[in-house]
Amino acid sequence: MSLEQSYIDRVIARLPREATLREQVAMEVRSHIAERVEHGQSVEQALQQLGDPVTLAESYLAAVPLIPVSFGRRAAAKLLDALAYVAVCAPIVGLVSYRFQFVFGMLVGGVLLALGAFYPLFAEYRYGKTLGKHWLGLRVVRESGGRISFGQSVVRQLPLFLEVFWIDVLFALFTEKHQRAFEILSKTRVVLAMENHS
Amino acid sequence: MVDMASVPAQDDNRRGIERELKRGSLELIVLHLLSQGEAYGYEIVTTLTERTNGSLEVTDGTLYPVLYRLERAGFVAVRWETPQRGVPRKYYRLTHAGEAELARLTHEWNTFARAMAQLLRQQPERT
Repeated sequence: MSLEQSYIDRVIARLPREATLREQVAMEVRSHIAERVEHGQSVEQALQQLGDPVTLAESYLAAVPLIPVSFGRRAAAKLLDALAYVAVCAPIVGLVSYRFQFVFGMLVGGVLLALGAFYPLFAEYRYGKTLGKHWLGLRVVRESGGRISFGQSVVRQLPLFLEVFWIDVLFALFTEKHQRAFEILSKTRVVLAMENHS
Repeated sequence: MVDMASVPAQDDNRRGIERELKRGSLELIVLHLLSQGEAYGYEIVTTLTERTNGSLEVTDGTLYPVLYRLERAGFVAVRWETPQRGVPRKYYRLTHAGEAELARLTHEWNTFARAMAQLLRQQPERT
């Protein structure tokens, strides 16, 4: 891979997984490198001018406002997640109970429920949102606006596993940026998706 | 006696203030340079260095995110020019909103600079 491409990849890796933003920044950085090369400078010199890729990515992100969302909208997203999950699991549990025994159905239901608890953890890490958040135009970011790490995604979901979910949620009603306690701890936020910015 | 250990710290601090001042004025600088007509990134960087004999200098990494912010805010419009071969080039120009913002920031800057100059001219009063 070329020096230029690997630099651009490192910038992009820091941005949230929103295709338009990533394309814009990649195209822009590529064109600015080309400008210097056309004026007789080397790619290395151009990259030196652009500086550290992580810093550059965060500077670009600072240009994108993080718009907070209401508690109600977040609650609705959570409810939709739950409903979507039930819609997927209920037929399976029903089928197993009907086909075999009720107790098997309950067993399968229990396993699915346990697996479902891990869904937000992977979805938010991989896509920056769950289905419910996607439908309501929300996204999960670092406080700097960057993409969240796997560790941050784990910490965000800890209250569920530690069974302090409801206390944690109450924090979102009173904190300045409507963050749950474990969101403050993981330095993450839920904000309006970029395609919904006016 | 001069405390040698404190010298680098002071130097760091001074650079910090310089950096803050520069960051606050970058938008004004960019809007001002674009008020003379459309330009692409490298032109803006080199024009700034030339006009100020190198005393105001920015790196690409500082300038381009500022341009991106101005673009998102609607103060700057962009146009991509695709050459026959090679990488498309991005041109920036001021919008009407950008001209208004430039006037506002210029006024703010001048008011601030006058007030500072006046303050710094005054002799400290002894009580």
